[in-house]
Amino acid sequence: MPRIELQHITKKFGKFVAVDDLNMVIDDRSFVTLLGPSGCGKTTTLRMIAGLETPTEGVITINDKIVFSSEDGIDVPPDKRDVGFLFQNYALWPHMTVYKNIAFGLENLKWSKDAIKTRVEELLAMLKISEFAARYPSELSGGQQQRVAIARTLATGPKVLFMDEPLSNLDAKLRMEMRSELKRLHRETDSTFVYVTHDQLEAMTLSSMVCLMKNGYMQQYAPPLEVYRKPANTFTADFVGSPNINLVEGMVLQGKPLILKITNQVHLSFHPKTDIAVEQGQAIVLGLRPEHIAVLEQESDVEAEILSSLPSGMETIIALSMDSIRLHSVVFGDIDFEVGKRVGLSFGDGIFNLFDKASGRNLGQGTLSRV
Amino acid sequence: MSAKSKLNQMKAFIKKPHNIILVVLLVVLGYLTLVPLLTIILDTVTVHSSEARFVKKPVGSLTLYHWTKMFASGVTSQKTFYEPFVNTMVVAFLSCVLAILIGGFFAWTVTRTNIRAKAFISTVFVFPYIMPAWTLAMAWLNFFRNSRIGGAPGLFTVFTGMETPNWFAYGLFPIVIVQGLHYAPFAYILIGGILRNMDANLEEAAMLLHANRIQIMMKVTLPIVRPALLSTFLLVFSSTMSAFAVPAFLGSPVRYQVLTTQMYRTLNGMNPGYGYIMALVMIVIGVGILMLNQWITGRRKSYTTITGKSSNISLFNLRKARTPLTILLVTILMMVAILPLASFAIESFIMAPGDYSFSNFTTEFWIGKGRADIANSEPGILRNPSIWLGLTNSLKLSIIISLIAGTVGMLSGYAIAKRRGSRLSTWVNNLTFFPYLMPSMAFGAIFLSMFAVRRGFIPALYGSFWLLVIVGAVKYLPFASRSGINAMLQLSGEIEEAGTIMGVGWLKRMTRIIFPIQKTTFISGYLLPFISCMRELSLFILLVSPSTRILTTLLFQYNEKGWNQYANAINLMIVVIVVGFNLLINKLTGASIDKGIGNN
Repeated sequence: MPRIELQHITKKFGKFVAVDDLNMVIDDRSFVTLLGPSGCGKTTTLRMIAGLETPTEGVITINDKIVFSSEDGIDVPPDKRDVGFLFQNYALWPHMTVYKNIAFGLENLKWSKDAIKTRVEELLAMLKISEFAARYPSELSGGQQQRVAIARTLATGPKVLFMDEPLSNLDAKLRMEMRSELKRLHRETDSTFVYVTHDQLEAMTLSSMVCLMKNGYMQQYAPPLEVYRKPANTFTADFVGSPNINLVEGMVLQGKPLILKITNQVHLSFHPKTDIAVEQGQAIVLGLRPEHIAVLEQESDVEAEILSSLPSGMETIIALSMDSIRLHSVVFGDIDFEVGKRVGLSFGDGIFNLFDKASGRNLGQGTLSRV
Repeated sequence: MSAKSKLNQMKAFIKKPHNIILVVLLVVLGYLTLVPLLTIILDTVTVHSSEARFVKKPVGSLTLYHWTKMFASGVTSQKTFYEPFVNTMVVAFLSCVLAILIGGFFAWTVTRTNIRAKAFISTVFVFPYIMPAWTLAMAWLNFFRNSRIGGAPGLFTVFTGMETPNWFAYGLFPIVIVQGLHYAPFAYILIGGILRNMDANLEEAAMLLHANRIQIMMKVTLPIVRPALLSTFLLVFSSTMSAFAVPAFLGSPVRYQVLTTQMYRTLNGMNPGYGYIMALVMIVIGVGILMLNQWITGRRKSYTTITGKSSNISLFNLRKARTPLTILLVTILMMVAILPLASFAIESFIMAPGDYSFSNFTTEFWIGKGRADIANSEPGILRNPSIWLGLTNSLKLSIIISLIAGTVGMLSGYAIAKRRGSRLSTWVNNLTFFPYLMPSMAFGAIFLSMFAVRRGFIPALYGSFWLLVIVGAVKYLPFASRSGINAMLQLSGEIEEAGTIMGVGWLKRMTRIIFPIQKTTFISGYLLPFISCMRELSLFILLVSPSTRILTTLLFQYNEKGWNQYANAINLMIVVIVVGFNLLINKLTGASIDKGIGNN
């Protein structure tokens, strides 16, 4: 089964380290996203697995077969790795019709004319582009080109499919549509998808595993909801979720029971779910997901003032000032709030993450209450 | 529509500076390009004073004499037209093929493989194009001339003792080699630009779909660059077709005539009618080529967006061939770009041609006072007043022409881009490009006949410096206007509108906003006319008078007289000025000739 394994993969461009000592396992039939800001090494990683880029160091195994090893000097060329690649700009050949574009790979595999015709028509139908078969790419819209590119990649039936920000050139509505399309294809083709994106929403909604990267380092490799619930550090906490998590700085006032000092006025009591090792006076960062801050008309855990209210119908995003610290909260339902009003904030049902300020590492989870 | 609203429309039209620019250009360029064309046509059917005896008609009356002589008079037509015509086509075609093979190979090697010394190759490879076209022709003669043209044999014969055969030393073979090498950089820049901009993903996609190297080349890369390759071919073809200096240098010893050398003979001699017919033929071919080019680039399959992330190009690993190939390419470059210069230097320092022993070296031709036994006591070129006059004239002419052509080109680019799509803009665009298609010599000849007498408010200009200025400015406008249009098309209209809304005047918008942003492209628009003008021969050769002679025409004269050392010294001087100026501008502003070349 096509299980992909990366061991100590490093890629340097001159002195610049694009990917640093990356280890990961991509399971068969999973949908893995490589997520991170631009320049974090995610595209390079993808290209290295596909064989388009040569790693400086490390071992890559696909389906228990070593396709790259810097030590043993193994470097299997991309076309022998049995992988498909979907490029960000589609890379459709402008001088070939849609039909020719899709048939190209099959012709190279010396399929018979009839077999090619059957296969291409099947793909055209699958991606709902049958009527464009005779057109040239420049005569298609972005979304249609995208579908042709997908059909071309799927034609030879690769067991692993790599996608490099395939939706970033589409408008918002099409992107939405293509997302569900990709999820459907993943199920139908029964193959492994590795997907690069900088859009956390795409990563959250599509994938079975998210690999978050920053400056060439892997930050966290976990299922999307776990990344959301229990981010490994402040970077992943901040990168995932919209509106962003509130990262509030403070210090440990007292170790047991744990009391956090946020400002001179605001002190909160943290009830860990597991053992947490902190020292008195340690600088910390408290992560508060916006939906876990309840805004109440009465006195509650802490007091705050409403700075702005952005109702969108389904939910309202509120900016708050808690003793001059800015917080965001999301309240569900079509409610609007009066700017300048003083309200109470409750942390009642949320589970919050506590980070070490110096290293950014997650120290542990717990609930909050007033002291 | 009422009279008042018409008046208001007119006012609104005139208020916009780009409209005024377009109208002025339409009138001036119409006068300077279309009227000459009509003059040419008229000249081909007019009786000239020198031929009144044969035609038996009064001077100035209409006749088909030239046309019948040219196309339907048996052996005469064969000799004056058909033979040179076929020669021209053969030379142009073969030079083109050679230029594209060499330029394309270098371009592919530099952009797609891991060859060493890329920066060096890139810089030096452009030299042969920056240098005057005859540079390589003269170098060829310096190395390979044989005893046929009299005088001393070339370096090759001196060192090996072998006499070069005529076919090798003169005529078709060396002309094709020299023109091919001269235009190879042109192909290199165009093809290199395409390869650099071509999305490497297109090739990678093919590789992932199990295509091998050869299949990728044949089925993906070549078809994609084919339209651009064809249009490169056509542009080089039209340039080689109208080249004069190289066939004049290498062809005349064996009477190998092409259309341009024939044209020089007839225009300079007694039968301008013939020359104008040849000019017309060349213009027709040129226009045909341009239309073909537009048809090729405008077809369904071709496309303009070859953009993409090209940073990820995976370079072809040459492995063991890497170092040998680098050495080979650098050697070839040295031979075509550096060695000719060395040969000029050497030739200009030797006393008796053909004797390269140390005792034969002399500085006579550079700083000598002039000796009665050599070249009619012509002084060495550094103390020769006529050379100094030529040098000042050349510099003055090139600077004025580049200022005019560059500025007008920039303004026309601005106005054309602003009104893109309108009929007025299309006309002006075509008019600014038209001089490119006119063979230089014919263009010079037309202006000669047109401005020999007073025309309206323009006084008779024959023998005047300003005649050279007008010819040069119009001829080189296409270079400048291309860069102007390109610069403007890259610039979003909103940038200027932001200035307009803040009440910034037009002049200030141009000088403070638009020019600074696209500085390098605009400066290329000034640089290209300067360099082209510095090394131009055929455009001016019919127009100069003793007081307005320039370096290139001096060089041609010395060469015709067989004063080899002077010609070599002048050539070296021109090359040093042109290359030095290009490097200087490049260092100062980042603009360079190769950016300009890619535009046209």
